Amino acid sequence: MRVVDCLAGLLGLAAVAGLAGCGRPFDIKTANGLVELDNQEPEYGFRAMAPEGVVMGVRVIDTSGHGDLEFWTRATTLRMRQLDGYALLGTADLKTRDGTPGHELRFGHDEKGKPYLYSLRILVKGKRLFLVETGGPQAEVERYKGALDWMESTLKLD
Amino acid sequence: MTCSGKWARIAYACLAWLVCLALVTGCAAGEKVGGGAAASPREAPPGYPSTGAAAAPGKPADADSTGLLAMNDVAKAKEVPDAPHSAAMLIYTATLAMAVYQVEPGLDAVEHLAREERGYLSARQDNSVTIRVPRDRFEETLARIEKLGDVTHRDIKAQDVTDEFVDLTARLKNAYGIRDRLNELLARAAVKEALDIEKELGRVTEDIERMEGKLKLLRDQIAFSTITVSFAPLAVQEVHDTSLLAPFPWLQAIGLQSLLNVHQ
Repeated sequence: MRVVDCLAGLLGLAAVAGLAGCGRPFDIKTANGLVELDNQEPEYGFRAMAPEGVVMGVRVIDTSGHGDLEFWTRATTLRMRQLDGYALLGTADLKTRDGTPGHELRFGHDEKGKPYLYSLRILVKGKRLFLVETGGPQAEVERYKGALDWMESTLKLD
Repeated sequence: MTCSGKWARIAYACLAWLVCLALVTGCAAGEKVGGGAAASPREAPPGYPSTGAAAAPGKPADADSTGLLAMNDVAKAKEVPDAPHSAAMLIYTATLAMAVYQVEPGLDAVEHLAREERGYLSARQDNSVTIRVPRDRFEETLARIEKLGDVTHRDIKAQDVTDEFVDLTARLKNAYGIRDRLNELLARAAVKEALDIEKELGRVTEDIERMEGKLKLLRDQIAFSTITVSFAPLAVQEVHDTSLLAPFPWLQAIGLQSLLNVHQ
C-alpha cells in the first residue's frame, strides 16, 4: 500500500508540475488583465493575451549552440525591416531576472491601415534562443505598457 | 613791267598753288579719316546685297550675294533657347522605400514637404507618393524625407542628358532653318510646286513640334527632380542580401501576424 501511495503521490506531483508549466525552460508570470492561453506549443512556449488584442508570447528555439546574441539580433532586425517593412523605432539592452543579457527591438507596423506596435526581446542562454514577443494595436499596447513591462521583468531563464 | 613786279606775280602764283595743294591734301586726308568710319553701317543701294554689319530688314546678317543662305547660317539666326549653363545636364531621381508604419500620415507629410520645398505632387497611390522638387532642393528634400520614418532602401540616380540635349538643340536649329527656307520658296512658288512644298513644310513642322516637346520635357526633368517614396516592404526578388533569407523557419514566422493569431 505504501508503494502505491508513493507512486500516486509522485504522479500527482508530476501532473501539478506539468499544469504549472514546469516543463518550460523559463518562468514568467501573467499580469492582471491578461490570461495565459493553453496549448500554444510547439510554436510558443507561452502566450497570453488581453481582451483588446494585446498579446505576449515566448518562443524557445534550439540553436544547437550556433549563433550568438549579436548574430540573432542582426538577422532578426534585417528580416523584420527589409522583408516585412517593419519600422525600427528603437533598441535597448536588457537583462532578465536571472541576469541573462539580451536586446530589445521595438518596431512599428501598419495592419489594415492601423498602426501596431511589436517588440521583440532576444536572449541567448546555453544552446537556446529565447524570443519574447509583444504586440497589438498601438493605443492598446501603450495602455497595457505597465502590465507588459511587469511580465517581462518576471522572466527567468533556466 | 618791272623786275620786282615780275617776282611778285611768281610769288602769288606759288602761294596760290600751295594753297590749292594744301586744300587737295586736306580733303584727301579728311576723306581718309572718313574712310575709317566706313566700318560703321552703311545701307547698300537698293538692288545690291548688303556688305555691312546691318543687313536689310528681315534678312539675316550674313546673307550672301545671291540672297540665299546656307542652312546652318540660317539656323544661327534662329533663336533656340539655350540649355542651362551647367557643365553637365543631369536628371536626378530618387526612390525611397520606407517601413510600413503610419503610412497615411507619412504620405501626407511627404506631400506637404514637397510644397514647402517649392515643388508639387506628381502622383499618389495607397502606399506611395511621387513628388517633384526644384533641382537645388533635391538633397535637402531627401534629407527631410529620411527623417519622416525608417528608410529601409534608397536608390538615387543622376542621368546625364548633356549629349541628348545638345544634339536635340542642334537638330531643332536646323529644322527651323529648313522651315524658313521652305516658307521663302513657298512665297514665290507656282501652284504645282507649292503643294509639294506645303507637304514638306508640314512634315518639318511636325518634327519641330516633336523636338520642341522633347526639349521641353528634358528641361523640366533637369529643373525638377523626381522623388518617389513607397511605404512597402521590398519584394523577395529585390533583396540581394541572402542573409535575409536565412534558412531558419522560425525567423520567417515571427511578427505580428503570427503573434496575434491566437486561434491557430
